[in-house]
Amino acid sequence: MADGIRHWWRRMGGAGRDTAKEVSFWRLQALFNNFKRILLLNNTILEEMAKMERALGGEYIFDRSFLESSVSSIANRVHHVAYSLNALTGNRHIPLYDRYQEIRTLLDDILANNVHALADEAVPPLSSIGWEHESLVGMDLVCLAELFYHPWVDPVDGFAVTIDGIRALDPMQSWSIGTRGGSSKRLEEARGAIIDHLHHLIEDYPQEPMVVVATRIDADDEPLQEVGYFRVQADVQRSAVTLTRVDLETMTLLSQDEFSLADRRQGSSSGEEGKEIELLLHGLEQIVQKIALELSHIPYSAINCALFVYPQPPFVLKGAIQTRPLGDNPFGAVDGLVAKVFAPDGQEDAYLLRRTSPFDLLQSSIPTRPSGYRFTGGYLATDLAKGRRHLGHGTGLVEPGQLKKLAETAMLLERLYGAPLEVRWQLWEDKIFRITRLRPLKVDLELTDIDEVPVSAPVLCRGGQTGQSGVGAGPVFHVDEQTDPQDFPPGGVAVARVASPHLTPVLQRAAALVTEFGSAAGHLATVARELRLPSIFGLPAAVEQLPEGIDVTVDGGETRVYEGIVEQLLRFDASSLDLTPQHREYRLLRRLLRFIQPLHLVNPETQEFTAENCRTFHDIIHFCHESAVDELAHFQERHPALGTLRTRSLALGLPMDIRVLDVGGGLDAESTSMPGPEQVISVPFRAFLEGLVDPRAWEIEAPSLGMRDILAGMPRSMGLLAAPADTLGVNLAIIGSEYINLSLRMGYHFSVIDAYLGEDISRNYVYFRFVGGLADPERRGRRARFIARVLAAMEFKTSIKGDLITARLKLMEPDVLRSALFALGALTAATRQQDTNMRSESDIERRFVQFADQFLPAFCQGSSDTEEEDERC
Amino acid sequence: MIATNEAVEPMRILILDDEPIVCKRLKPAFQKMGHTVETFTESTEALARLRELHFDIVVTDLKMEGADGIQILHEAKDISSDTQVIVITGFATLETAKESYRKGAFDFVAKPFKLRDILDCVKRIEQKRQETLAGPTS
Repeated sequence: MADGIRHWWRRMGGAGRDTAKEVSFWRLQALFNNFKRILLLNNTILEEMAKMERALGGEYIFDRSFLESSVSSIANRVHHVAYSLNALTGNRHIPLYDRYQEIRTLLDDILANNVHALADEAVPPLSSIGWEHESLVGMDLVCLAELFYHPWVDPVDGFAVTIDGIRALDPMQSWSIGTRGGSSKRLEEARGAIIDHLHHLIEDYPQEPMVVVATRIDADDEPLQEVGYFRVQADVQRSAVTLTRVDLETMTLLSQDEFSLADRRQGSSSGEEGKEIELLLHGLEQIVQKIALELSHIPYSAINCALFVYPQPPFVLKGAIQTRPLGDNPFGAVDGLVAKVFAPDGQEDAYLLRRTSPFDLLQSSIPTRPSGYRFTGGYLATDLAKGRRHLGHGTGLVEPGQLKKLAETAMLLERLYGAPLEVRWQLWEDKIFRITRLRPLKVDLELTDIDEVPVSAPVLCRGGQTGQSGVGAGPVFHVDEQTDPQDFPPGGVAVARVASPHLTPVLQRAAALVTEFGSAAGHLATVARELRLPSIFGLPAAVEQLPEGIDVTVDGGETRVYEGIVEQLLRFDASSLDLTPQHREYRLLRRLLRFIQPLHLVNPETQEFTAENCRTFHDIIHFCHESAVDELAHFQERHPALGTLRTRSLALGLPMDIRVLDVGGGLDAESTSMPGPEQVISVPFRAFLEGLVDPRAWEIEAPSLGMRDILAGMPRSMGLLAAPADTLGVNLAIIGSEYINLSLRMGYHFSVIDAYLGEDISRNYVYFRFVGGLADPERRGRRARFIARVLAAMEFKTSIKGDLITARLKLMEPDVLRSALFALGALTAATRQQDTNMRSESDIERRFVQFADQFLPAFCQGSSDTEEEDERC
Repeated sequence: MIATNEAVEPMRILILDDEPIVCKRLKPAFQKMGHTVETFTESTEALARLRELHFDIVVTDLKMEGADGIQILHEAKDISSDTQVIVITGFATLETAKESYRKGAFDFVAKPFKLRDILDCVKRIEQKRQETLAGPTS
């Protein structure tokens, strides 16, 4: 009876070995679907990231809900990618979920305006500050720090104390109320960092006062609000510290207090330097308490403050440049840069300069100097000036060239800051000009002041895409990859044929950028947005239509270039028409992008390429993509049971057996139990087979084996024999409509080709791995170098370790990838046991020339400089 | 040299969006084209102004507290049928788009949108207005 039931069940196909195979097959298909999903999701995420990043350029009108929905959508997809990778790899990347969750929490905190969550660096030195610190130190310090990358004028050397550092300086703990607070260890570390920075500063400037500027960040929708300006002077002999408070506008004295160290504790530090640090620290603590008292009407959890600390040795000259004239300027000017210069003896000059390159001096107000007055550097007004033949120094406190450099710097800072500024500078005894402070200028640039609306200036050319909106003007300078950035005139308009990443250093000096080719989604456009440089990409015939030397005005948002300097447009620009860091949404977007867009994990070959090291969503999806490709590239080795699945042999008419497992759309629905190449509809496999069955690839004489070759190959052949019986000698192709995963064991070598080939370039790739052979290591190495040469000709990124070759080709047009797969098919046939024929180094070149002639024509056309080279790539 | 900017007939434009950033950015862009612009973040205030003064164009957000974009559209058309209304929204669906067009919206734009797209939209209104003013040509 029981036998009868079992027989019936088997007859109905309800159980047994076949069913097990089917179950495995569906599981396999699910795994490949996971892989496909990762590719699709990554693609969508990258598009969404690009859209967010482009929104920084001012081209889009967006609001907070766009930011919220973008973060939510990207985060959900990233989570899905991490899940799919774990499904594909049997949960081998669980730490990805932790990294995902940490980043997601940070993004939610940013959207909730909780910057305290981001306080990861309590005391950064100015030199390490970047845009990622903006929410902690304020935009003024971010812009100031940017000057480290610009050649003209230095920023002052100092350090910032973020809200975490302020807490560490607060003996009353007022600043910790209502905040997440930090562990005592964290506060101790912050305090230690402040001591280290003070130590560094007083090494260079012993016993000099320190300036401490306190600012509130993001208060009442204002990006920056100055709270106090203090001078802290330590007196080691008297164990006292003097705190002088100065009015921020007029720099006049507001109050002066002295604190004795004995008031607080007995000094524990030894040596003068230790005591000085302790006194300065005491001064900082007093400042923190004063500010806490002044801001006590606001809940501390809602306050985000920062201190900037820098040394103040005696100055030789100091001054301020206002990038827009205020109503009370000495020239009665409505446009231009107003510069004021002060000498320690009370002498004072004022200058009016043009806002565009070459920043000409328009007017000056220089009082009569006392007779025999010695200027900075000890010269008299009548002494001959260096480099200006027959001309005296004149009576100005600064040289015109120095003024121009300060003007260039001020305009750069205004552009980065996105609003008119007062830029304060000092010249110390070491003759270096330093920018010490940026202060927002309250200038009301009402559009109604502008008489001519709309703009009536002639348009020289228009079109292309907005890289960064905004208006920049100056003389045209043609640039290309060979341009030395030093030759580029600061404040000029860079015009290039191609948007090459090599132009990045030029962008740091330019007032605007126009390129004929290139897109707003490219690398250079991202850099332009980082620098807020008005830019147009893909403007037809720009180089021809914008000859060198002429003055032009570039309107990035309108993608137009006007003839001459159009003041009207420059004033429009300054009226915050475009999205600038002054807008809360801009700052929010930039803060969010910090945890979404940058790619830190680049090279999968390094030890750092781990889930734990993912710092952004981009890192996570890149890690998942590379890990998924790696999983499939080793899929058949890691899943030896695949050999038990029902596969079909291909009827190739060749002395090799390839079995096929179709996971969907790889074979013609009508295909037979032993399909021929014509029944293969998988795009990448079909391309590979065309190369494999090409008769020319098989027209190679059979290799002759020597005893040395056979002995050399013994350990390898034994190793292969030790492999699971199911996998031995099986050439298995797992195929889908746009996918192939092929493992070939031909003779004594082993190769893997894993490829995706569809219409979407961003998802296309070929991964190739090749190892083994029968010949001695020298000859196997030669064959590896021959294969690497072929791969390099096809622009694969290739690495060789002994006889192991790994190579990748990504982001290619379908036609290019098809040609590459065709060549790999031919290479597979042509290299079977050819290691034994590689008797000398010259064989590599001979074999390459022969192969390239026959199978690489698609990669050789026009790739070389000479006809002779073209013949062989 | 390929062209100079042609002069435009100034129009009166009302912008209503509860997100100040949208008003802040659209206002100077329309002013740059030579138009007169008023902005509102409260729909009741915008409605009151619409009843006081004729506007050639109304740009309104869809989802707002108080009167929503569809109500503004309805009211604006009721007050003056030649007022053209552009509906902008971060929550675009086929239904809301259909409803907007059915109620007489000139265009329906999903946020985020390119500044140039909305400027083109205003230019099309301007062109249509000029054609209407010129009357039939035949």
